[in-house]
Amino acid sequence: MTLAGKRLLDPEVLARLAGLRLRVRATAEGVLSGLHRSPHHGQSVEFSEHKEYAPGDELRHVDWKAWGKFDKYYVKRFEQETNLRAWLVVDASGSMGYRGAEGRLTKLGYACTLAGTLAHLMVRQQDAAGLAVFAGRVTNALTPRAEPSQVNAILETLEALTPGGETRIEAAVEFLAERARRRSAVMVFSDLLDRDERMIRMVADLRRRRHEVTVFHLLDPAELDFPFDDPTLFLSMEDARSVEARGRDVRRGYLELLGKWMDGLRRTCGESDVEYVLVRTDQPLDEVLVPFLARRERSAA
Amino acid sequence: MSLSFLHPALLWGLAAAAIPLAIHLFYRRRPRAVPFPAIDFVMQARRETERRLKLRRVLLFVARTALLAAAALAIARPRFLAPEVQAAQGPAGPAATAIVLDTSASMAYRLGGKTLLDRAREDALEALRSLGPGEPATVVVCGGDGPPRADPPTFDRVELRRRIAEAEQTHLRSDLTTCVGAAARALGDPAVTGVARRRLLVATDLTATAWRLDSPAPVVSTPAGPERPEVTLLDAARGEKLPNRWVAALVAEKEPAVGSHGYRITATVSGQEAAAASDVPLSLRVGAGKDERTAVRALLDLPASGIVKKSLAHDFASGGPAVVTAALPPDALPEDDALSLALDVPREVKALVVNGAPSAVRHRDVAFFLEAALSGPSSPVRPTVVDAEGFGKARLSDFDVVMLLDLRSPGAKGAELASFVEGGGGLFVAMGDDVDPDRYEAEMKGLLPAPLHVVKTAAERGAPGASEKAARLAEIDWDHPILRVFTGPAREGLESVRTYRYMLFKPDRKEGGARVMARYDDGAPALVEARRGRGRVVLYASTLDPDWSDWTIRTSFLPAMQRIAAWLAGGLDGRSEAPSVVGSPRSIIAPAGLRIAAILGPDGRERRDLAPLAAKEGVVVTPDRPGLWQVMVRDLATGGEKLDPALAFAVWPDPRESDTRRLESAELTAWFGGEAHARVAADGQAPEARELPLWSWLLLLAVAAFLAEGLLLV
Repeated sequence: MTLAGKRLLDPEVLARLAGLRLRVRATAEGVLSGLHRSPHHGQSVEFSEHKEYAPGDELRHVDWKAWGKFDKYYVKRFEQETNLRAWLVVDASGSMGYRGAEGRLTKLGYACTLAGTLAHLMVRQQDAAGLAVFAGRVTNALTPRAEPSQVNAILETLEALTPGGETRIEAAVEFLAERARRRSAVMVFSDLLDRDERMIRMVADLRRRRHEVTVFHLLDPAELDFPFDDPTLFLSMEDARSVEARGRDVRRGYLELLGKWMDGLRRTCGESDVEYVLVRTDQPLDEVLVPFLARRERSAA
Repeated sequence: MSLSFLHPALLWGLAAAAIPLAIHLFYRRRPRAVPFPAIDFVMQARRETERRLKLRRVLLFVARTALLAAAALAIARPRFLAPEVQAAQGPAGPAATAIVLDTSASMAYRLGGKTLLDRAREDALEALRSLGPGEPATVVVCGGDGPPRADPPTFDRVELRRRIAEAEQTHLRSDLTTCVGAAARALGDPAVTGVARRRLLVATDLTATAWRLDSPAPVVSTPAGPERPEVTLLDAARGEKLPNRWVAALVAEKEPAVGSHGYRITATVSGQEAAAASDVPLSLRVGAGKDERTAVRALLDLPASGIVKKSLAHDFASGGPAVVTAALPPDALPEDDALSLALDVPREVKALVVNGAPSAVRHRDVAFFLEAALSGPSSPVRPTVVDAEGFGKARLSDFDVVMLLDLRSPGAKGAELASFVEGGGGLFVAMGDDVDPDRYEAEMKGLLPAPLHVVKTAAERGAPGASEKAARLAEIDWDHPILRVFTGPAREGLESVRTYRYMLFKPDRKEGGARVMARYDDGAPALVEARRGRGRVVLYASTLDPDWSDWTIRTSFLPAMQRIAAWLAGGLDGRSEAPSVVGSPRSIIAPAGLRIAAILGPDGRERRDLAPLAAKEGVVVTPDRPGLWQVMVRDLATGGEKLDPALAFAVWPDPRESDTRRLESAELTAWFGGEAHARVAADGQAPEARELPLWSWLLLLAVAAFLAEGLLLV
C-alpha cells in the first residue's frame, strides 16, 4: 500500500472495523467463495427452486420426481456461495471541492476516504471492488476485482483526483448500465447537486436493474447550517454564476429549500429501495461506516 | 403659529441625519467572495425574500435617519409660537432680561392650593428657561423697603435659578416701583452688550399698594440714550380678585367697670370682599405660647369692603405683663388674621399711708382724701393708713410705697426709709403745717429730691381775692409717665388747681438728678421726682388736704394719686408704647441692672446679634415677622438669663400688605409707557413661554424610531 493509500485509510477506522464481516445480501453476484451468497444458480448443495425445462438446460438437473408427479419437466436450481461485486461511484465535480472551514476535508476528500476504506475492506475479505469517477462524464473506471492489487489501483486513482466539472450523475448511471451487467452493489458518493432534477430517479433505475444501491450524500456543515451573516458574494463552483446576498437575510429561505430538497431525496430513495445515507463531512468516518456495515451484515444474515 | 427654535445654533446637529446615507454611500461593506456549492438554493432564497428585504432596508434607513434628525431637532428646542406672542416680542434679536420676583407678605396669599409666591416662582423659572442661549439675565428679589440687590445681567443660569428657587417669603412690604427701577438700572449696565432688546419680567400679585405710580416709570440707560424696557407683568393671581379680611388694629383701655384688672379691648376688622359678611367669628385670646387660651368669642357683621370695630371686655386675673390677641378665622392670607398686643396690667400696689396729723373729723383728716382716691374699685392701690406711732412699728418691706403726709419727720425710720427706697421701694412725701424741714434734712440724709426750705403763703385761704392770688401749676411735664394720661381737656384738672401755701425747696443738689414734673406759676417746684438706687421718690410741695390747696377736689386728683402710687411701685415704666409694625426698627431699653441678651421672635428663633442703642443701655431690633416678640435679659450681677415678660412687644403686619386690591392692567401698562411697551400676562406665562413645545414629542419620535430600528433588525 502506498503512502497515499495509507493516508486515505484511517488506521483508527480500520482497527474498529477489523472485527466486522461484511456481508451483502444473498442475491449479490460474486465469483469468489466467501461469506456472501450468490444469486447465480449452479451446482451448489443448497436447493433453491424449480424451473420449467427449456431447451439448452442440462438434463442432469431435471427433477424426475417432479416429472412423475406433474407429468412436466422441471429443472432443479441451486444457490451457490459467492463473493460481493461492488462499484464505488465517486463524484469528482467542482462542488465536491468545497470545505466550509480550514482543517476540514473537502467533500471529495471525504468521499475518497470512505470509498478507499470500503474498497480495502472488501478486497480483504475477497470481494471484488471497482471504481467509477464522474465529473460531467465518467473520467476513471476500474472493473471490480478481488485481487489485493486492486486496492492500490483504486487508491491511486482516488489520490489523483482533483475536483472540477459539473455534477452529472446521468453519465455515471449510463456507464454502470452498460458495464455492470451482473448484479452488483453500487455505492454512490456525491453531494447530488445536479441541476438535472431527474438525477435521483436515474439512480433509482439502477435498483430496477437489480443492483443494490447505496447513496452516500455528502454535505459540508456550512451547507447544512448556512453560517453566513454579512453581505457575501456566493460563487458557483461549477460554472460562472454568482449571487450577492446578506447571509442572515437569506438563511431562513435557504434552509427551507435545502430541507425540502433533502426530504425529496429521502422519499424517492425510500420509494425505490435505495439506501440513503446523509454524511456531514465533520462526522467521524466510523460513525458513517459502522452503522452502514452493520446494516449490511444484518441484511445479509 | 410659527416654528422657532430656542437654540437655533444647535440645528447644525441635523447634519447627523445624513450619517446613515453617508454610511450607505461611502462605507458600504464590500461583500466577501465565497465559493459555495449550493448556490441554486441561495439564488432561489434571495429571489423569494428580495422584495421583503428591500422594504425592510428602506424602513431601516428611514428609522435611523428619523432617529438622528429627531434627536438633533429636540436638542435645538423647537416650539410653535402664537402670532400675538410674536407681535409682543417685537423686533427679533437677543434680549437682556431682568426678572423681578415679588416676595412681599401679600404673596403668601393661597390660591388654588398654592401661594402666589409659589406661582410667581414657577413663572419666573419658566421665563428663565425660555431665554435663548445668547440672552443674559438677572434676578431681582423684591421684599422689604430697602433697595434690592440688582446685579448686572449674566449668563450664569444656575445662579439665577438658585436665586429664584431660594427666594423666601417675607412678611414685609415690597416697593415694586423701587425694584423695577433697580432692575432697569441693572439692564443699563455698560457691561451689557450685544443685545437688541431689554426686557423686564415682573412676577407679582399686582396689588396696588406695592406700586407708586406717581413716581417716574423705569427707563434703561443705553449707549443710544434712554430707552423704555419691554415689560411683561406675570400675574401670579391669574386675573382673579384677592378677597381678604384682616384685623387692622387692636386697642386696649382700662375698664374699671369690668374689674380691678379690667380692660376694654377694641379690634378693628377690615374686609376687602365684594359681599357683606355676617356672623364673622372673632376671638379674643389671652396669654402667649402654651398658656394662650381663648377668653372671649364674639360675632361681627362685616360690610362689603368696609371696616367694623368690635369691643370686648376682659378682666385679667392678676396684674403684670399680659398678651391679648384678636383673631379671625384663617383665610387665604392668614398672616393678618390676628393681631396681638402686649399689656402691662397694673399690679396691686400696697401703700403705707402715714398720717402725720390725724383728725377725728374725717374730712379734716390729712389722709382722708388720699385714702379715698386710692381705695376706688378701679384702683390698683391698696392703702394702709397709720399714724406716726404706727409708722414706727410698721415693717416697710411689706409695702411697695410709703406715703408720708404732713409728718413732722421720719425720725428713727429715716435710715430704714433710705434703704427701703434704695432697694426699689417708692416714697411720696407731702407737706403740711407739722413738717420740720431741718429734721427732714438731718434724718433723711439727701433722700428727698430737694431739701426743704420754708413755707410760702401765696394767699390766705378765705381772704377776699384769695382764689385769684393763689398759685397755679405751670410748666407741667406732660411727657412724664405719671402725667402722660392727662391729654386735652383733662389737663384742665391739673391746671385749675389753686394752691395757697406750699413749701419752697432749696436749690437742686449737685448729685440730686431730680426731675421737676410741675412748677407753680412763680417758678417754685410743685412736684419733683428723683431716682434713688432702684427706687423713686416724689416730693409734693403742698398738702393732700384742703388746708393748703384745693387739688383734692379737682378731677385730676384721683388719677394722679393712683398713677403716682403705681409709678413709685414701678408699674408705669415704659408700658405705653405702641406695637411695632413689621420691618420698622424698635428700641428696647434694658431695665437697670440688666442687659438685653437676645430677642425671641414668633418663629422661636433667638436673635443675639443685636445692634446696641447709642445713648442708653439697650438694643435696636427690626422685627421681620408679625407676632409676639420676647426679650431675654441678662442680670449683670449674677450673669443669669431669663425672659422678661415686661419687655415683650407685639409686632403687627404691614397694613398695606393686607390691602389686596389689585391694580387695573391698563393703569399699570400706561405707567410703563402703554401697550407698546408693557402687557399683563394674565395666564402667568411670559410671551416666550406661551408656546407649544415640540422637543418632547421629537424625543418620543426618536425613541420610537430607535425601537422600530431594533425590531427591524430582529
